[in-house]
Amino acid sequence: MNTIRLCYFILFVSLSFAQNKHTISGIITNAENGETIFGASVFLENTSTGTITNEYGFYSLTAKANTYNIIVSYIGFSTFTKTITLQNNNKLNIELKAASTELEEVVIVAEESERVNIKSPQMSVSKLKSETIKKIPVVLGEVDIIKSIQLLPGVTNTGEGSAGFNVRGGAADQNLVLLDEGIIYNTSHLFGFFSVFNADAIKDVKLYKGGIPAQFGGRVSSVLDVRQKDGNSKNFELNGGIGAISSRLSAEGPVFKDKGSFLIAGRASYAHLFLQAANQDNSASFYDLNLKTNYNINSKNKLYLSGYFGRDDFNFGANFFSAYGNASGSLRWNHIFNDKLFSNLSLVYSDYDYQLDFIAFDFDWLSEIINYNIKYDLSYFKSNKLKLNFGLNSIYYDFNPGEINPTSPASSINRLILDPKRALESGIYTSAEYKVSKKLTATFGLRFSNFNRLGGQPLFNYENNQPVVYNETLGVYEEGNVIGVTDFDTNETIERFNNLEPRLAMAYQFNDNTSVKAGYSRTAQYIHLLSNTISVTPLDVWAPSGKFIKPQLSDQYAIGYFRNFKAKTYSLEIEAYYKTVANRIDYVDGSDLIGQNTIETEILNGELRAYGLEFLFKKTKGDFTGWLAYTISRAEQRTPGGAAGGPGINNGDWYYAAHDRTHDISLTGSYQFNKKWNFGANIIYQTGRPVTFPDGQFVFEGINVPNFSSRNESRLTAYHRIDVSATYVPNKKPDNRWKGEWVFGIYNIYNRRNAASIAFGQNRETGANEATRTAIFGIVPSVSYNFKF
Amino acid sequence: MRIINYIILSMLSMVTFSCTDVVDVDVPTAPPRLVVEASIDWEKGSLGNEQVILLSTSTPFFDNLSDTSVIGASVQITNTNSGETIVFTDQEDGTYTTSNFTPVLNNTYTLEINYLGEIYRAEETMTSVPDIDEISQSRESGFNDEALAVDLFFRDPPDEDNFYFFRFEAQGDLLPELLTFSDEFTNGNRLEVFFEKEDDEDNNIREFAPGDVAFIEFHGVSRQNFNYLEILIDQFESAANPFGTIPASLRGNCINISNPDNYAFGYFRLSQVVRTTYVFQ
Repeated sequence: MNTIRLCYFILFVSLSFAQNKHTISGIITNAENGETIFGASVFLENTSTGTITNEYGFYSLTAKANTYNIIVSYIGFSTFTKTITLQNNNKLNIELKAASTELEEVVIVAEESERVNIKSPQMSVSKLKSETIKKIPVVLGEVDIIKSIQLLPGVTNTGEGSAGFNVRGGAADQNLVLLDEGIIYNTSHLFGFFSVFNADAIKDVKLYKGGIPAQFGGRVSSVLDVRQKDGNSKNFELNGGIGAISSRLSAEGPVFKDKGSFLIAGRASYAHLFLQAANQDNSASFYDLNLKTNYNINSKNKLYLSGYFGRDDFNFGANFFSAYGNASGSLRWNHIFNDKLFSNLSLVYSDYDYQLDFIAFDFDWLSEIINYNIKYDLSYFKSNKLKLNFGLNSIYYDFNPGEINPTSPASSINRLILDPKRALESGIYTSAEYKVSKKLTATFGLRFSNFNRLGGQPLFNYENNQPVVYNETLGVYEEGNVIGVTDFDTNETIERFNNLEPRLAMAYQFNDNTSVKAGYSRTAQYIHLLSNTISVTPLDVWAPSGKFIKPQLSDQYAIGYFRNFKAKTYSLEIEAYYKTVANRIDYVDGSDLIGQNTIETEILNGELRAYGLEFLFKKTKGDFTGWLAYTISRAEQRTPGGAAGGPGINNGDWYYAAHDRTHDISLTGSYQFNKKWNFGANIIYQTGRPVTFPDGQFVFEGINVPNFSSRNESRLTAYHRIDVSATYVPNKKPDNRWKGEWVFGIYNIYNRRNAASIAFGQNRETGANEATRTAIFGIVPSVSYNFKF
Repeated sequence: MRIINYIILSMLSMVTFSCTDVVDVDVPTAPPRLVVEASIDWEKGSLGNEQVILLSTSTPFFDNLSDTSVIGASVQITNTNSGETIVFTDQEDGTYTTSNFTPVLNNTYTLEINYLGEIYRAEETMTSVPDIDEISQSRESGFNDEALAVDLFFRDPPDEDNFYFFRFEAQGDLLPELLTFSDEFTNGNRLEVFFEKEDDEDNNIREFAPGDVAFIEFHGVSRQNFNYLEILIDQFESAANPFGTIPASLRGNCINISNPDNYAFGYFRLSQVVRTTYVFQ
């Protein structure tokens, strides 16, 4: 394995450079609640030695023996300064105190430390703190992480109320969504109206839109890294809220004789709230539960245990029941080998399942994906010039694409189990961040990934190895001829894939406030969400690569200009990207994926390309903070007939992806009026999304049948709206532990009927054809009350 | 299993905060095509001699006024097993008729149309249908426990793939309800299909009440015809819905051998059919 050798080589080279230098390291925490701080800037004054803390608050700095002022800063906290003398390796754990100003929570930053923002080669990344997300006006007052990241440049969706999100022209299944390292397969509650993350349990959110670090693999468009709070290790604390959609309650506090802390957070919606057919016995509801606890074994070892469980339930009278949800759990072990070497071992389980019970037809349906993940990551802070990350991980997948079971002897449905699938995905990586000169920093990363599609299922063999064939006469794609079946044993491999994924990034710093960065990354994706509908539905199943589906491979090039000005009050980020994804599958016209055992007969292999220019202008200090984001972009797909013959989908021409938005502008602001009142607003404008409109009609069986031709050729009208919110914090007595706040919001204040979709049909009363617009949210006022005790 | 999609759609509409309205939209316009509705339906127990083929042209989507009847085409069907050819008579109103058709199960027939100098051709097989062994009504069946539904029962033949097409029409309603059904998940079982209506004030649709009349057709169709009808119904009912299938061109089986790009819309089918009328008690 070449990569391992390379990894050792880099280690070896770096170890051999050791000279008369010493290291200071430690953990940075919030003095108020003991939460570790991710992204705090730590540097030695009047030197170029500096770093930022990692996900677990760990930092390590190495410098020549001398006396320094160590400065630690993090927005919203008072800057910490201390004089230290480096004569040998030191350990210094630091607690940061919240800034005394009332503005502590009004923090809007994409990368916490502007110093490092300019220096670090990492680009295309956005970080949002939970406090920031909570200030953004949202529909019905339900704080929503997925909706919040859509206010950032380069992030779109397929319409209001649709599940998932799209990053830089990528599809929704190309995002790796991690909650404390557990993979979340469906980020939505109620089909996409709300997201699965309870903001009370979340510490921060980091979105990599490109330049994905080598430690991540498995998805080609983005990584959304969501971290749960550790829990207050100083005091017991209760947080809660009552909103229009759901109520929340969380408890956190110290445990294990102050050697650890815990967090438990629950959220549940009200069941019958938004049901139009309220006369029937229908209900829809969701809930989720977040758990976390950690234990400090000693100064070098710490354990974290995290859990998430979320569920949606639907009842339709006595006829249908449906439920879906994610569950994940992770056990992590932080081990500090020495001042320079930090490690984390994670054992992660996650699953997603979808159930339907057709009581009226006496059968039920279950589909499921389960995975077990082991991950070992190490960071080696070699010197001020060189930092190394390396590690490996392995994921075992069990796919149950669907099973149908009759639920009574009277059922007319036969038992059917679609072939279960198994796979093992492994990766090994190394990356080195190296300060080439005072002005130039570069990151070289390399990931080697391997995907092993395991046996334990039969596979059809098709004539000429063609599962899909083009019928020249009728001009349609049909299933290929099956000429045999191969049974693969559980110890056999069906197909194996290897990929080398280089990740390169560099930053050239003109001065303290200005830099340019460029990056290239290659990523591979081995599992795919099968969906031929416009929006992702909870029913869509994941399928592994194998004999018929090749891994998606993406190349992304990005270049950016970054600048802070006016004493770092403002920042400007401009990025351009060009991305291609090979082996993006699409579905032949009229394909039916549900209950389909041989998906290969419904798909053609295509490609995706996306390019765009993103602007992000932020104000991060003062009473008024916020950002203006503008993206001009294009995302297109092309699916030729290939080996199956024929013209392919849409005649083999490029067509817009469903989430393509030419222009996407969002302005998000927050204004601290006084100690009691804070105001927020969003202004959003987007080009309407591409849709397929009918180009004719004909009469058949007594109905007017619409015909459609060029895919995604038309567009909905532009989407725009303004939202406002006001947060009121009543006078609090200093000795009163109870802190409450009222949040008033109005979503879509001028009640624009933004088309979520336009359906074409025949009026059943008049017989005339008509176009019916569905607008999801009109003007929606809301009030919620949050408290802290 | 498209039924699952419909259920998702109805779940979505239940959970929605949405409102709908009719809007003016500019749509693209494709040149007109010939539309062939050559549905050779052979009612079980009848001779099946009388047959009608409808020819029309497609129009822009919002054009409801044009007379689209096709006059002056020549239409004939040949039984490829027996060699017998039946010529249909142009009634000069878009219909072409015969009284001499001889349906034979599992025989293959070829339709040939000569229109404006181009020759259109289609081939299909006469497909059988089982008997409806029981017809009854209940409130419990169907999606809504309180609404009256008519229930049909039939036994699916084992050891073969079967495809069915139902056409339901409530007396007084303008549009029929179309349903396709395959035995993919139910092979060899006794099956129940129901027809139920939900109150819809916007379109003046009422639930069934005693005295209401439902016209029911139960067709056996080929796999290819099933695929065609499935897409057609899907696009008629849920086009452009977020959880609907991405809409596409509707390609039937009527190819243009003179000019392949100018294929015809519609379909040439031959199906045995059970027709029944049900009066709610």
